[in-house]
Amino acid sequence: MGSRPLRVAAAVLVVAGALGVVLSPLLGETVSEESLWGVEPLAYVGGLLLIAGLAVLTASYALPGVLPGMFGKGGTASGGPAHTPERWSEITQQYFEVFHHDLGRPLSRIVGKERELRAVLEARSGTIDPAVADLLDEIERQGPNFRLMMSNLQVLIQLEAGPAPGRDDAVEPAEVVRKIVERYNAVAGEMGKQITWWSEPAEFGIVYSDGSAIEHIVTNLVDNAVRFAGAQVEVKLTQNPTHFFVRVWDDGQGIPAHYLQHLFDRGWTPESARRDEKVSSGLGLFIAQTLAGRQRGELTVESVTAPDPDHHTGFLLSLPLGSPAGAPSA
Amino acid sequence: MNDARPGGSILIVDDEAASPLVSAVRRGLEKEGWRTVVVEPEEGWRSGEDFEAAALYAIEESRPDGVLLDVRFGDHRDDLFKGLDILRKIVTEHPKLPVLMFTQYTQGPDRETAVRSTLRWDAPVDFIDKLASPEEVVLRLRRLIGTAPEVIRVGARITLNVSTKTVEVAGTLMSEISGMRFEILRELAVAWYRSPGQLVPFATLERYSEGEDARASLRVRVREIKDALGKALGERLGAGDLIINVRDQGYRLVPKD
Ligand SMILES: Nc1ncnc2c1ncn2[C@@H]1O[C@H](COP(=O)(O)OP(=O)(O)OP(=O)(O)O)[C@@H](O)[C@H]1O
Ligand SMILES: [Mg+2]
Repeated sequence: MGSRPLRVAAAVLVVAGALGVVLSPLLGETVSEESLWGVEPLAYVGGLLLIAGLAVLTASYALPGVLPGMFGKGGTASGGPAHTPERWSEITQQYFEVFHHDLGRPLSRIVGKERELRAVLEARSGTIDPAVADLLDEIERQGPNFRLMMSNLQVLIQLEAGPAPGRDDAVEPAEVVRKIVERYNAVAGEMGKQITWWSEPAEFGIVYSDGSAIEHIVTNLVDNAVRFAGAQVEVKLTQNPTHFFVRVWDDGQGIPAHYLQHLFDRGWTPESARRDEKVSSGLGLFIAQTLAGRQRGELTVESVTAPDPDHHTGFLLSLPLGSPAGAPSA
Repeated sequence: MNDARPGGSILIVDDEAASPLVSAVRRGLEKEGWRTVVVEPEEGWRSGEDFEAAALYAIEESRPDGVLLDVRFGDHRDDLFKGLDILRKIVTEHPKLPVLMFTQYTQGPDRETAVRSTLRWDAPVDFIDKLASPEEVVLRLRRLIGTAPEVIRVGARITLNVSTKTVEVAGTLMSEISGMRFEILRELAVAWYRSPGQLVPFATLERYSEGEDARASLRVRVREIKDALGKALGERLGAGDLIINVRDQGYRLVPKD
């Protein structure tokens, strides 16, 4: 509770600072044409306000209780004994949860307004100009992107917090896959691509595993596949007496053999290998493989590159079928 | 008659029911033929408590087929997860009523798992990210409520009646599509209705074929279905239209509007 006014104040500082910087060419006065300092003072003041505001905002999230009295649940972690690493990672996680939540808010505004705009345009003229529709689609596409990035960061923090045992809840893998495909359907459609999924057997049944880990791994694979596919993405679920498998396949250009060995490295993307500007974070596959390992499974890749007419990339996730909590695993 | 969703109603319980995100979902539901009833905050309501009472009252009053419930009510700390209390109440008092719960923005799976473990395992409850597209929400509710419709509309002009085992194109009965051909089309339409991206593998379809070469016989039947539908639609249905073979794994429906 007590941290709220502080955050609001900090946010006001940030906004005021940003405004100062942006408006300085219009409002400010140049002090001296010659010197390096010949820029509007307003820009400096704005910049300082911006930095100060951001700093307070960050501190209010990262160090709750370190400034006792100023923050609501003050004292939870203040002063006293030195923080153990576990304690810190717990704080980081809590911090991230709140942060996560607050980041979701502007995103939901953006996406919400975009949908509203679409509805208004449609109501007004019956159809939407294709060029405008493309722009709206582009905004909409960033939604899943952003969500995946946020949850990747969250999982990464959990992974950094140290080893946690795998889970063995009752999970319906077909349901998990179905939901992911539904989430990416619109995005794929807008890019002129198609996602197809199925399971064999058709009634796939239940496994004992970690549902959110499976969801996270497959979401990363589908996200990549949709991005790199030519036109088709396939997700197929199968099982044998001990394991179940999720294969995510796309008909894209394929991944060159010399890249495959780095694919699962943390932060690796082909741009980083070529020293080009990175366009994505390169965290997805690292996280996916780490999570698979935690569940006593694995994640492997196989790819054929163009110009071979059969060019494609296939990721195979295999996880043990598991057994109900408490029962000895086979 | 019995359309994709005949006059069913969905109760929406959300303190931001007027927000663009929720309005988009409402529009999506109404476009599909659902009625929506909204529990809106009234003057003088202090907190989630009031919402809880109003939601339970509205369920008694309007007997909805399903409930769309937000997890969060207001900014008050105590109300951050008020939706979970409301959920538990609904599940206790109406154990068969399907509830789709919005989780906040991007924070999902772990909380879902936690909540799920406090409910009866067979409670018809599901969770969805608040940023999900309206189509996704509609699909999820549709499945959660679970009654397979008797009539499935495939695209704008094809209708499949599961109980009379008939197919109509723009109102004209297709006598050619009966028997095994009807069963094949039904399998494909039901899978598509439940989950638009779902393929029906050969293993499932082969029971509707005969002779030594089941795949070949299936291929012939699918061709016959497409020819008949194409004729009635006045267009030639090619390999990539309506019923497609996905890399020799099975068939799926890709209707156009
Ligand atoms: N299906 C695929 N086809 C072709 N290249 C792929 C495929 N999947 C992954 N890659 C390559 O592997 C790289 C690493 O993938 P990874 O998912 O780890 O990170 P990313 O997608 O770049 O970023 P993010 O952290 O957002 O997932 C990608 O940048 C891409 O070049
Ligand atoms: Mg990725």
